[in-house]
Amino acid sequence: MKPSRQTSFSTLIIIGSLLSMLLFSTTVFAAKVTLDPESWGSEEGKACIDCHSKSSAGLTHQWKNSAHAQANVNCLDCHQAYEDDVDAIEHEGSVIATIVSPKDCGRCHETELKQQQGSVHTQALSIIENRMPALAEHFGSPTINDAGCAKCHGSKVLVRGDGTLDPATWPNSGIGRINPDGSVGSCSACHGRHQFSKAQAREPAACVYCHSGPDSPDKEIYATSKHGMMYEAHKGEMNMDSDQWVAGKDYSAAPTCVTCHMGAAGKMKSNHDVGMRDSWNLNAVVSEQQYLVIFEDGSKRELSTSDPLPRKGESISKLDGSMGKVKAVASPKRRRQAMTSVCLECHSKGFANNAMQQFDNVVELFNEKYGKPAQAIMQELYSEKVLTPLPFDEPVEITYWKLWHNSGTLARHAAAMTSPSMTWKGMNDVGSDFYGKFLGQVRDAAGKERGDALIKKHVNDSEHHDWLNHPGKANPILGFGKGKNEGESESEGAGEEKANED
Amino acid sequence: MKAPVKRKPMKINNLLPAFITRHVLFALIIGGVAGIGFILFLTEFDHFTSSEEFCTTCHSMELAAEPYRNSPHYKPASGVRASCGDCHVSEGVFAATWDHFIGTKDLIRQLFGENYDDPVVNALHLPEAAFAAREWFKKRDSATCKRCHVKEAIFGERPDTQQIHLEDAKEKSCIECHYNLVHRHVPDKKTFKREAWNSMIEEEFGLEKGTAKKLLGK
Repeated sequence: MKPSRQTSFSTLIIIGSLLSMLLFSTTVFAAKVTLDPESWGSEEGKACIDCHSKSSAGLTHQWKNSAHAQANVNCLDCHQAYEDDVDAIEHEGSVIATIVSPKDCGRCHETELKQQQGSVHTQALSIIENRMPALAEHFGSPTINDAGCAKCHGSKVLVRGDGTLDPATWPNSGIGRINPDGSVGSCSACHGRHQFSKAQAREPAACVYCHSGPDSPDKEIYATSKHGMMYEAHKGEMNMDSDQWVAGKDYSAAPTCVTCHMGAAGKMKSNHDVGMRDSWNLNAVVSEQQYLVIFEDGSKRELSTSDPLPRKGESISKLDGSMGKVKAVASPKRRRQAMTSVCLECHSKGFANNAMQQFDNVVELFNEKYGKPAQAIMQELYSEKVLTPLPFDEPVEITYWKLWHNSGTLARHAAAMTSPSMTWKGMNDVGSDFYGKFLGQVRDAAGKERGDALIKKHVNDSEHHDWLNHPGKANPILGFGKGKNEGESESEGAGEEKANED
Repeated sequence: MKAPVKRKPMKINNLLPAFITRHVLFALIIGGVAGIGFILFLTEFDHFTSSEEFCTTCHSMELAAEPYRNSPHYKPASGVRASCGDCHVSEGVFAATWDHFIGTKDLIRQLFGENYDDPVVNALHLPEAAFAAREWFKKRDSATCKRCHVKEAIFGERPDTQQIHLEDAKEKSCIECHYNLVHRHVPDKKTFKREAWNSMIEEEFGLEKGTAKKLLGK
């Protein structure tokens, strides 16, 4: 259907405004602090330094080496609190708060705060708050949630009635942390306190602190990608300390996580909304491309391409459940363009687009071959009450979970970041778990007859699994056609096996 | 040879002014002994009434003693245990007696006031008690702390501890930095939030929301 003239015109406006938002919206990393310098350098705060140089020499030393210290920003400029603040405490005569929230940092770093609010990072806790206990507490206990999950996803920091911070929820620098002042996120998730070094935050290490391990294996992926290989070899040429850090201009040795996901490249400015350039939702059973909806109040949310496309000015629900007026919508295509524009600093358009095509193909393969059939089978098992509603009490649920959440994520993320070995490892794990465990467990749970019917409907009848329908088709990979099958003697076959073992 | 000088016989009355009669003398001796006895009694009395044993005869004080018994002031590495009165009663028999005299208001409240023996009521009123105690320490420049602790002698385990006490805390009184050492943690008066405290106590004792307010309103 041809879009009406008006639609295409408004689409143009949306695209235009987003293009400018993505390309020219915000300033470079060291965004200029617009607050009057009179607003910091607290007199009272100067008194902290003497004692803390002794009582906590390490952190004071870090601060002394920071840009904050150079600019006369002292302890109280960040830690000062009002008596009424939920988490305010009295400390040596001053009223302070232990936690410095994004709201506190945002007093000076307004641009970064605006970008960070509503980014996928700030949703790290809220999105999975209801789901997390099932995994954490069934496999561990709330303890694991406090010491593991919440350390990256963020805790909901609880101030107790006696003014102390609940030790289950603090210390925590999880990126989706819900702070006592109501703000969301934690700048120190990436920016190690109290030095807040630019170079440190640009290192892949700032990201892989959380993006590593079974369900977010980006450390392993980056390390086995060409980009990671180049970074390892040319670490010293990265110009990490530079104030301005534009890819292709201030450095070109290798891209780090920051480069592609939030860094400045060419005309595109850096942005603290780290998911802005992602077109796919890769952490789902079935990946979908995502619109980025920006509301008039600056908050954001993502919508799948299967959802109705919101129009500018329309009121739709925001992530917190309240309604918001849509200011702009960035299509997955626009988001992909933004990401690809980083590639172009080093690669040709054709090269970059083809790499993206290879990535998209892997995502679609995972969706069609494994994600959709596994999801459909599970839905039938639940609706037929073959499985209890309780997650993870049946083996097939664990296999299903690992299939998309762990191995599936590895394959898709690895394809995105061009790590061949991890793409294969991911897909190989998905395949072996799907054929080797999942299908058998479906039969175990549903009974052979019902299980076979389900598998026929969702698996055998799909072109992706058609190979299952040809049991007679031989291949020597597992030794078929050798030894006994070829009429060779048993002893010869056994001897060969033995030789192989040696 | 000179004739011997005739001495006046040694008579006690002759040594004292005339108004000190025999009766007055007896009264003085008895009074003096009684006075010494009274001071000795006060000393013993203050000593006894400063002990943990005496203080915890009121059940409400048992609730304050519980956290104390888990604190380093009760279980110090050195073996020097501070009893209730060591911190909460001034030094010197007169000051101590005065403190005990003032302290009788607590006794009156215990007897005729609210039911402080109830752990909930006790916990709800604890913050005000803590604020008053801190004020008391501040007014006396942490005098009772200094009975045992000498600023110049605080070496600590890290070299910085001594330095901080000699340099940064030179003009400071112990209580300014060191509170919440012995009894249940109570925030400073400035940042104390009554509603949050009430909710905490309600949660702790499994009480319905609003119970604390009702109890305090009584």
